[in-house]
Amino acid sequence: MKQDYLKVLKEKLYEFQASKQDIDDILSDYEQLYDDAYQKYQDHDKVKEILGNPKDVAHELIDTLHIKKERNIKTKIVAIMPFISVIIFMGLGFGLDLWNPGWLVFLLIPMTAILFSTRLKEGIIAITPFVSVIVYLILGFGFDAWHPGWLVFLSIPMISILLSAKAKDIPVSISVFVSVIVFTLIGTYYNLWNPTWLVFLSTPMIGVLYKENKLHVLIYELSFIIAIGVYLFMGYNYGLWQWGILGFILPVIVGLLFGDVHFMWSYPPKGRKRMEWMIMVSTVFIALTTFLALGYLINGWAYAWQVFLLIPVVAILLGKPKHLTPIMPFISVVLFFSLGYFFSLFHISWMAFLLIPMVAIMENA
Amino acid sequence: MNTQFKKGILEMCILSLIDKNDLYGFEVIEKLSSEIEVNENTVYPILRRLTHQGLFTTYTEETNMGAPRKYYKMTALGKEKLKSYEKEWRSFLNGVFKLLGGDLT
Repeated sequence: MKQDYLKVLKEKLYEFQASKQDIDDILSDYEQLYDDAYQKYQDHDKVKEILGNPKDVAHELIDTLHIKKERNIKTKIVAIMPFISVIIFMGLGFGLDLWNPGWLVFLLIPMTAILFSTRLKEGIIAITPFVSVIVYLILGFGFDAWHPGWLVFLSIPMISILLSAKAKDIPVSISVFVSVIVFTLIGTYYNLWNPTWLVFLSTPMIGVLYKENKLHVLIYELSFIIAIGVYLFMGYNYGLWQWGILGFILPVIVGLLFGDVHFMWSYPPKGRKRMEWMIMVSTVFIALTTFLALGYLINGWAYAWQVFLLIPVVAILLGKPKHLTPIMPFISVVLFFSLGYFFSLFHISWMAFLLIPMVAIMENA
Repeated sequence: MNTQFKKGILEMCILSLIDKNDLYGFEVIEKLSSEIEVNENTVYPILRRLTHQGLFTTYTEETNMGAPRKYYKMTALGKEKLKSYEKEWRSFLNGVFKLLGGDLT
């Protein structure tokens, strides 16, 4: 509770670009106030009432803050980026006739705005959509690798998970994406879709590692290994893949015996966190199924990757943001790509990215 | 009541409290709110602002529990400011009560 209170205060002060010294100073004072008030009332809600809403506190403090100096330089750079972009764009266009990929320079506008106005971690997360789009277009236009090229978009949820999830949750979540990448690459280039799908088992196999009971872990892992062995043996020796798949009944039985065949649902914490976790898992699951369905059924690989953008968007929304700004990069990517892909409007649709600084400015004003 | 106006009064009350005794943050909040209705989230910002203006200095003192406490202490500048505030305020109130037809008690 105390940490939550101080965290909100810190974030708000950070937003106002207060210097580190001011923030440290204020936080240590509030820590003291909090301790004193808690000692007297022994009730976190009461303490919060006495000290006031941390957001209002931060607003009251604005005129006592030393604003960081570099802010001015940063603001200036952000402000002149549109002009620099136009100059580079004109130069590339008239000079080298590179109008087409040349418009990419306009992405510099939201990118600099994001990098200079958010904290490093959020900045990196917010910037991945742009970097992904650029890499994707280079792979697509340059090497005609639209198909496995879309995989770069998986870097968006991956980076946001790496930077914001708890250390314990990272291996499980990341294994899903790594599996998709490995599966797609090996499938596409060597046409080995079949045994390669087994990489998806890495997710439950890693998830199981976090179980308390080490004997259970061992039995689980063994059951998976045996199942994979049976599957490969039946498939390669007798060509009976469909029979080999029966081997996977073994880990399912183990799961039922241990009463946690739903371990994906039961390993996270209780309460509200658990609800969030379930929503996240469902989102990942829905995204994966939608993606695979669109891909296989109507060969929609080239655009189906966009469903993965749902994952970071849901993660952001679960944090109950007050503003639209954090999810604008994702909305822009979808607008940009859909208009471009379905209506061949790439040369115009990049303007969707201008929405990001626009929304950010409107919401901050 | 006009917030700017109220803040001015609060500043004066805080100056007057700390003029009597050196106090730490929570004490100021407690003493103020026991007498008048205050918007608590403005108290600490006022302390900080007045310290910045040089009306208070701060020092820390060890406590038997947890981190050392930060105390606020009046400066000469603070005393001056308090005097001028009080003078202003008393003459203002006098005027108000004259108009209302009562007296200060």
